[in-house]
Amino acid sequence: MVDPMRSIKTLAPKVVVDSGQLHWVPHFIDFSQWPTLCKDETRTIPSPQMAHYVAPLRGDAARGRVIAMDPWRGNCVTCHEIPGEEWPGTFGASLHHYKQRRHTDANLYQQIFDVRITAPRAVMPPFGPLGILSDQEIRDLVAYLQSLE
Amino acid sequence: MRILIIMLALFLLPAWADEPHKEYTSAEPFLPHVSGDDHLTGTYRYWKDPKNLDMRLAGSPDQSWKLNWKHLDYPFNKEMHAGHLALDRGLTLFNKLNRSGTFKNCLVMYRFNGPYETSLRGLRTHYPAFRTDLGRVVGLEEVIEHCAKLEGEVLQNGSYDNSAVSIYVASHSLGMPIKIDVSSGPLRESWRRGERLFHQKVGRNNMSCASCHVGRIGQSLRATVVTSPYGDVAHYPVYRDRFGITSLQVRFAQCSLDLGFNALKPGSQAYNDLEVFLTALTNGYPVSVPSERP
Repeated sequence: MVDPMRSIKTLAPKVVVDSGQLHWVPHFIDFSQWPTLCKDETRTIPSPQMAHYVAPLRGDAARGRVIAMDPWRGNCVTCHEIPGEEWPGTFGASLHHYKQRRHTDANLYQQIFDVRITAPRAVMPPFGPLGILSDQEIRDLVAYLQSLE
Repeated sequence: MRILIIMLALFLLPAWADEPHKEYTSAEPFLPHVSGDDHLTGTYRYWKDPKNLDMRLAGSPDQSWKLNWKHLDYPFNKEMHAGHLALDRGLTLFNKLNRSGTFKNCLVMYRFNGPYETSLRGLRTHYPAFRTDLGRVVGLEEVIEHCAKLEGEVLQNGSYDNSAVSIYVASHSLGMPIKIDVSSGPLRESWRRGERLFHQKVGRNNMSCASCHVGRIGQSLRATVVTSPYGDVAHYPVYRDRFGITSLQVRFAQCSLDLGFNALKPGSQAYNDLEVFLTALTNGYPVSVPSERP
């Protein structure tokens, strides 16, 4: 299944018509570090973590919006309604007029960093402990959310 | 006293051992029958009779999820699609494999409660089953791979030809309700493991199947509307517009990549357990092949 040089870490199944073989093609993103459902899996998921937020926000709202739309970074729009986006998901709360909810920057930072601290049943991924978003990227997202009047 | 301490230590050792941190979505009570959907989404009454689906629901983009996409199945959907071509291919392959009659015998040689069957009729409704010759619980596609191997042919689990034969075999059970018994034996073990896997959070997004397919059915992820896990297996292997002929375990592999972890091979134990779990959730719903989904 995997090439002998081990340069390609993730493969996707491809069904080829009139063939008795299931073909596997390189997938465009490497998932090899994440735990799977395999019965012999030993890798772990990071347990819930408190974020260490230091006060001046220094985030850029424009950059935050780009991250919120990026399927491989924030990907917020897949679940949340975001102003100006025509076909958002409906899983999470709407982010319209988000500033009017008057969350503090520290709270918002914690929500994005690891939501499991405050809402253990939430579906939202813990972006910080999983290493999907860096500290600066979360700050940009907080700045973007605080800019939604 | 020292012996007592050592015994106590041995008893507590498993608790001290570094257990992998696994997270689970809170477990929901699932019934091994398709009518359990009433407790989950309450839409079972709209789609329980595939012959009388509501035309108005099918025509509305906001309401069509309430039919659990059964309006894409025959007899509501009478369109020709690539699933029919796979059915023809399956017939050709089956006749080629079954020249001496041993291929069919290999397929129908399974244990279930009832008289010994020699025809393909109803075969699909009893898989996954525990095969004594293989010594484990296997799905129909894996049995086809095994039996083709005995005939000297390679039909890998999940490949087009394998799914084509599977569609052909399933077409003998058209309209017959899925009927697997998960109340005892190896299938019960498999069902329990599958239920656990369904709730286990994994991958880059730290999500489980249940994260979306329990409390969020009918809501949308961008343009994708989340479906009920009940009643889904009846139309597999299915023709999907984007991926071609897709067996259930190839679908699991695609799900794995969507959740953000490396796909397992079709036929692995985790996928077999999930197949048993989902097939049990389809118990009582009639087989419908060939079918198509977007």
